[in-house]
Amino acid sequence: MTLITALPASPVVLSQKNNTMSAQILILSQSHLEGSTDHVCQWLSHLRIPFLRLNGEDLCQLQRLTDLPANENIAAVWYRRKIHSFPAQYQLKKADFNTEYTLKRFLIDEFNGLHSYLFHLIDRHKWLNDPFTEDSLNKLQVLALARKCSIHTPFTEVVTTKKEIESLLNTYPEIIVKPISECIFLEDAAGGQYKMLTKTIHHANLHLVPENFFPSLVQEKVEKKFEIRAFYLNGEWHAMAIFSQNNQKTREDFRNYDTERPNRTVPYQLPATLEAKLHQLMKLLHFRTGSVDLMVDKQGNYYFLEINPEGQFGMVSYPCNYYLEKKLAILLGESIQELEPATL
Amino acid sequence: MEYFNLYANCQLVTGANMSLLCDLQMRRYYHIPNDTAEVITYLQQHSIDECIAYYGEDNREAITGYIDFLLSRELGFTDTQHLPELTPLSLSWDRFGDITNVIIEYNEEIDYNSAFFRELFNQQVHALEIRCYQHLPLEKLRSLLEQFNGTTLKFIKLVLPFHLTLELASLDQLVKKYPRVKSILVHTSPVDKMERIFAESVPVIFYKGSINSCLACGEIRTNYFTTNIELFTESQHHNTCLNRKLSIDLQGNIKNCPSLPESYGHVSTANLQEVLDNKDFHKYDNIRKDDIKVCKDCEFRHVCTDCRAYREDPNDLYSRPLKCGYDPYTNNWENWSQLPMKQQAIACYGLTALIN
Repeated sequence: MTLITALPASPVVLSQKNNTMSAQILILSQSHLEGSTDHVCQWLSHLRIPFLRLNGEDLCQLQRLTDLPANENIAAVWYRRKIHSFPAQYQLKKADFNTEYTLKRFLIDEFNGLHSYLFHLIDRHKWLNDPFTEDSLNKLQVLALARKCSIHTPFTEVVTTKKEIESLLNTYPEIIVKPISECIFLEDAAGGQYKMLTKTIHHANLHLVPENFFPSLVQEKVEKKFEIRAFYLNGEWHAMAIFSQNNQKTREDFRNYDTERPNRTVPYQLPATLEAKLHQLMKLLHFRTGSVDLMVDKQGNYYFLEINPEGQFGMVSYPCNYYLEKKLAILLGESIQELEPATL
Repeated sequence: MEYFNLYANCQLVTGANMSLLCDLQMRRYYHIPNDTAEVITYLQQHSIDECIAYYGEDNREAITGYIDFLLSRELGFTDTQHLPELTPLSLSWDRFGDITNVIIEYNEEIDYNSAFFRELFNQQVHALEIRCYQHLPLEKLRSLLEQFNGTTLKFIKLVLPFHLTLELASLDQLVKKYPRVKSILVHTSPVDKMERIFAESVPVIFYKGSINSCLACGEIRTNYFTTNIELFTESQHHNTCLNRKLSIDLQGNIKNCPSLPESYGHVSTANLQEVLDNKDFHKYDNIRKDDIKVCKDCEFRHVCTDCRAYREDPNDLYSRPLKCGYDPYTNNWENWSQLPMKQQAIACYGLTALIN
């Protein structure tokens, strides 16, 4: 505001500035393969809520720092994705494995340095989820926080020896191993693709485990009746049950999608007490949105698995007919209205 | 006690004599007798044993047979209770556009880049069908498709007359350049066949019949039935043929559907908002299948496309589609064009020549 009054601007410019001043939603996303962002943007357009979608790819065309969105123009930020891929021109002309890795890592760090400047540029309270917490989310810490909120979690440990696994198998008939960070996807020279998913260890395959290995997260295996993915939006839970038990392919991890016999996905209402505890967890993390994965065992006990703050909600919204993209657009729109009286 | 839990996205639709169990997730339906549907409904409130007690021991085999069928199709599961957390599927419907689908009957005299078209495609149209009754050279087709770049349009279906220049290779090039084109129908073709282009992703259907006017539209056939959550939920509230849909006929008139008589202006002069604000434009929007005579007793009503342009009784807006040969009271499919009761309407719409 002070900037505008200080400028010797013509009345026309002034009124234009005033019109666009507060009234904009900033969406940080990527240019490709982001159907959920597209959907939310389409709802925003339909509801005539002004927004600016900034894809990570757009930053590669940045002319100067002042091109970045200015704090005073932004009412709320929805941070969905960072970037899909760097423009092809920033690749080595000749493949060189060692240099390529170092350079790629460097480009990512450089990009992150620029991208996370936005976290500082725009007031922290305007972000739907606190960007600093979101960017440094730690699976082990989230599990610890969940337990602090008296949410039941599967027994979890980080181990480095076969001996330790062997002793765990005395308590739990089966354990699973999954990454502490995120799953990766690998490609071989022939174009074969490999995805890293949750794997089970039991007495019968224990011999495949080396004596010593890199620190790995292990968890008791829960004999599940079904899984739950619950999307949180501003205090409300929108949950979906995922029945995959009949399907050998998805028995361990529902991401082992089976396109011929997909998992059954239906609306689910979490018990009120669990909702309240999960709500507490989201508050501790300063998240107003995100997806939570849970598991229900044969006896009906709930286990908290993890949080995905970026919110994979398309896979919940459509099968359950929840219109979460519309709800999110409306919520973002409300933050403009909230801001307007203050700036007028 | 054992209970059968039916998944919420498996919806029962009961007709006069038969029912449809619509699996909205797997996108298929099961045509079942009303007796079976009644048992399935009863099982939603009672245990399996209670159900057998209610219908009698004589029916034990039939009831367990129904449950085996439901389990084998993965339409539900058994448990020690009806899980109270498994809530019903909301049947609400909405879309992020005032117009979701557009049909254009192409005419080279019309400027498809006018203000009206720009406004129309600026507001989240999902799908477009371009119907060409006459041959359209590929370069003209390209320049027509060019203008949809940058819009949120997701799906274009092309209806083209057969022509020697329409080789698969050139169609393949076309869809690669304009990936919004996801389906092509080539009519007046020397053969009936189906091909696939663009790494098998785009079907090209060659059809011997000729499509030279909109009179051929409006047929109700089982192949046109669609079992999915979008159509099923929209059908609960709106007309599935015309709600949020707009057409431009061969003369450039703005219509609900090319086959309907009412015009709401001409594309060269009309303003989109005025069309959308016109109450008459919306007169078909909320005619649901549940409101239409005969259709309301039909088990297929929420997987059906409907047609308001050709009705069995042309004077009644709530009359069933003329081009439907299904009788929900006898469950027989007849050739609609031969039914004596349809002849008057066939003549009234000028369809006699088309049928013969």
